[in-house]
Amino acid sequence: MKHGFLQARALNVLFWLAMSALTLLPVWWMFLVSVRTRADLFGNPSFLLDVSSMTWGNYAEVLANPTFQHYMTNSLIVATSNAVLVSVLALLAAYAMSRYALIGKDNIFFWVLTNRMAPPAVFLLPLFLMFTGFRFGDWSLFDTRIGLILLYCVFNLPFAFWLLQGIVDAIPKELDEAAYVDGASTFTVLTTVIFPLARPGLAVTGILTWVFAWNEYLFASTLTSVHARTITTGLAEFVTVTGTNWGQLAAVAMLTLAPAVLVLALVQRHIVAGLTFGAVKG
Amino acid sequence: MMKLMLATSAIALALAAPARADFWADASADLQGVTIRGVSESTPPSNYVKDVLIPEFTAKTGIIVEYETTSWDQMFDKAIKDMEAGSGIYDFVYIEQDIIYSYLARDFLVNLTDMLEANPDLQAPDFDMAAFTTFIDNFRGADGDVFGMPMEAFIKVYLYRKDLFEEPAHQEAFKAKYNYDLAPAVTFDQWRDNAEYFANIDPNDELWGTTVQAASGHPASFYEFFETIAPSFGVYNWGINAETAAATVEKGGQMNSAEAKEALAFWISMLDYAPPEATASTWDEVASTFAAGRAAQGWVYGENAAWIATNPEKSSVVGKVGVMLPPVVDGVMAEAEAGEGYIGYYDGGAFGMPHSSKNKEATLLFLQYIGQPSVQADWAVAGSRVVHQATYDDPKVQAVDAIADGYFTLMRDKGYLFRGAPEFPFHAQVREAVAPFIYEAIVGTMTPGDALDQAAAAAETEMANLGYGGN
Amino acid sequence: MRNSTTGWLLLAPTLFILVITGLLPFVYVLSVSFFDWNTFAQNPDPQYAGVNNFRRLVFDAAFLKSLWLTLKFTVFVVLSQLVIGFFLAKMLMRDMPLKGLFRTVHTLPLMIAPIAVGATWRLLTVPGLGPIPHWMKEWFDISYILSRFPDQAFATVVIMDIWHWTPLVTLTLMAGLSNLPEEPLEQARIDGASEWRIFWDITLAFLKPVLLTTIFIRLMDALRTVDEVWMLTGGGPGAETRFIGLHIWRVVFPKTDYGYGSAMSLITLYLTIVMCWFLYVAMTGMKDKTR
Repeated sequence: MKHGFLQARALNVLFWLAMSALTLLPVWWMFLVSVRTRADLFGNPSFLLDVSSMTWGNYAEVLANPTFQHYMTNSLIVATSNAVLVSVLALLAAYAMSRYALIGKDNIFFWVLTNRMAPPAVFLLPLFLMFTGFRFGDWSLFDTRIGLILLYCVFNLPFAFWLLQGIVDAIPKELDEAAYVDGASTFTVLTTVIFPLARPGLAVTGILTWVFAWNEYLFASTLTSVHARTITTGLAEFVTVTGTNWGQLAAVAMLTLAPAVLVLALVQRHIVAGLTFGAVKG
Repeated sequence: MMKLMLATSAIALALAAPARADFWADASADLQGVTIRGVSESTPPSNYVKDVLIPEFTAKTGIIVEYETTSWDQMFDKAIKDMEAGSGIYDFVYIEQDIIYSYLARDFLVNLTDMLEANPDLQAPDFDMAAFTTFIDNFRGADGDVFGMPMEAFIKVYLYRKDLFEEPAHQEAFKAKYNYDLAPAVTFDQWRDNAEYFANIDPNDELWGTTVQAASGHPASFYEFFETIAPSFGVYNWGINAETAAATVEKGGQMNSAEAKEALAFWISMLDYAPPEATASTWDEVASTFAAGRAAQGWVYGENAAWIATNPEKSSVVGKVGVMLPPVVDGVMAEAEAGEGYIGYYDGGAFGMPHSSKNKEATLLFLQYIGQPSVQADWAVAGSRVVHQATYDDPKVQAVDAIADGYFTLMRDKGYLFRGAPEFPFHAQVREAVAPFIYEAIVGTMTPGDALDQAAAAAETEMANLGYGGN
Repeated sequence: MRNSTTGWLLLAPTLFILVITGLLPFVYVLSVSFFDWNTFAQNPDPQYAGVNNFRRLVFDAAFLKSLWLTLKFTVFVVLSQLVIGFFLAKMLMRDMPLKGLFRTVHTLPLMIAPIAVGATWRLLTVPGLGPIPHWMKEWFDISYILSRFPDQAFATVVIMDIWHWTPLVTLTLMAGLSNLPEEPLEQARIDGASEWRIFWDITLAFLKPVLLTTIFIRLMDALRTVDEVWMLTGGGPGAETRFIGLHIWRVVFPKTDYGYGSAMSLITLYLTIVMCWFLYVAMTGMKDKTR
């Protein structure tokens, strides 16, 4: 019995080692391309790292590029602000949906979700007109980080709303009822009862929305120009522009995914707990 | 940080302005700190503007230039949306030669000739429209006024590997197989034989017979076929008669003529001798295929010819590149000499000023700055583009010319045989309608004949939908 | 239940932002869809065309093909992801050393920008550089050229999507599995039910809400896949991977056919909503039952 148990565990680990290798292969390949010189790229492919001919030149070139730094900063600001904004708004909305009798609740809920379903391409036209047309003096939403932060709500708010709805629903009503009886305001209940209990869920919401915002490409590429361009548009530029400068493309791609991976490593254990979408009643 | 430095240096210069009595400082006296914005495709000539010309211009004038370099698709999308909505985001936009007719038809652009005449105090002393090559004529309106300041121009040439063609072993083996001497192609039969020979030397080597710019999901393949291959078979202007909006032979077009079908069949058959990346190749990949030494000959855009031939950091065939006119079928050369046809593609672009620009004076100065004679030669060396006649005679350009097997000389002497895209206001629309059939032919799901029959019909439908041709 | 005014106030910011960023553009697209409008037509101004754009769509072979490809793609990826995700979720629930590490690695693709995913797979598949074409040739003597063979391109796009999005399915199913009630399972084992019956009658039955939710999310996102496919194949070869999002983009942007493109995206949006609505009704119906 004990023997069989150990064998099963070993098999499990072997299986996951193989799975992990399979998952990492494309990323590893990208890394290999990013540390090769242009001359070494072609020929027989190998997944082994040839340390002797390895070069950090592609990274050095990309990192030294002020444009790239600028894009990276924009992405960080936009994604973080959007994730915070979305999480807060969605928490309020989810609380409202969970605790108040609102007319047409189910329809509102579904309508909120439909905002994530639209094919983004065609909405670029009205959004472009809105972004350039809505102006105070010389200032317009076009090419501003604020514009992107607001716009990303269109796909992130529905997602966050849905996730948090499940989280808030799972918090026993009696807790906030008790607080109200003690004379607490809605604000106090939200900050002292709901927020602490929803924290794991909020963390997941924040992270996933952050990732979605970080990864967005189409809107950013059309609605920004110089000041607010993000790193994903930079990546696409690299491809079309350098054509086949694969090494640098790979280096930019690696740098693009680095922050997201970092975030993942920090929080991976909380993710599962938060991802119930209200479908599981705990 | 960079921007801040530029801004401070601009202010410093602005303070020092009275001391420097040159035209740029005087003309921009009222424009200190004005910011203009432009959009362009990120290409070597364009990057030179960003890295060299703009900092210079800002230092001399105190006008700040924000320059967005982006991908080819994006650039058009955004420029068009901006001009259409009149939102005034861009003060100058890159106009590729092939889109100018669409922009003129919509009256998107400021008449530069008029504006210079109306503002003599903004007229730079060195600047002269007459210094440009005939390429500037592409950007003239109906009455000859200029609407775009040329910034780059190239021809699409035949590139071949001198070292391979001159190798005695290859010369012998080729002669033994085909009974004539190995040489760069001047006919399409010869092109085919060369391609077949080099592709089959060794099945495992990394050398193929020819490049083909046959991206099966990108307009690049459409362009290579209709602007390079079809004309050399005597089919001009995409085989479309714009007056009557005709593309099919029945209505008086040429898109599905016997010549066009022969051209497409030839071009598609070259895929057999092309490297596997050919069906994913746009202009960039073709250039890097050639630069990596993977093809013995090919049609390559001139903007890449110089770096392939001269830049050892990016190219493994430096000093081994030969440049010639692309082959044509009988009769085409005579038609081109007579001005009734052309043998290949004269490509390039200009900067134009949208009507919606909010800083027209500053923009006019900038456009003259990049159009003045003194900046041309270095720019030509950096981006292998020539828009001034005098640039050809500059020693720096001639030095590059010597290494690049006379590319610039060829462009100067034979450039008149090439021509840009036809004057269609419906350029992108018809391209989008026709390109899918070219893709089908490349993939082999349609024969070249069927593909062109359906493409011609689709082109006519599209033109009718758009209301062209008076029907 | 508490005073609903407070409820509306709490909901208001969310609704306000979505009206601005979602509803307003939608209304615009809706109105444009009734016009013939192409900037580079003989007459560049919008002209009222009634429902002509919608009528044209029904006979537009390119649009229908794109729609069909999108559906095929969506069905392939969502089903594969469910099966693989379920299996992996089960495997990840088991106790083993290095579990956290394995889970992190497995979740990694989820974090990568679609545009970077496309770039990664392009590096794997580009002839002359990528390892996949090389080994396909070496081991199986198959010429693997995405830009030439439609089936290979489609299959690769599907595999890429599976690689990218299965982790999300794994995670949601893990959340579901870890909340499965123990007693029915114990009871069934005591009653001597087969593993298959237990899986079918108990595990799946309890997982149904989670499964539907997962399908809903994946369906919604798979139908609007653009970035990674654009990067990998550009919709090619031909139009064989030109999914609807990409197709609409080509019509609206390079072709500047605004009216027709708007009609196209409305139909697409409508179809998406209908599909999701069915799932939603199934989901909420189930929720009410469990209440």
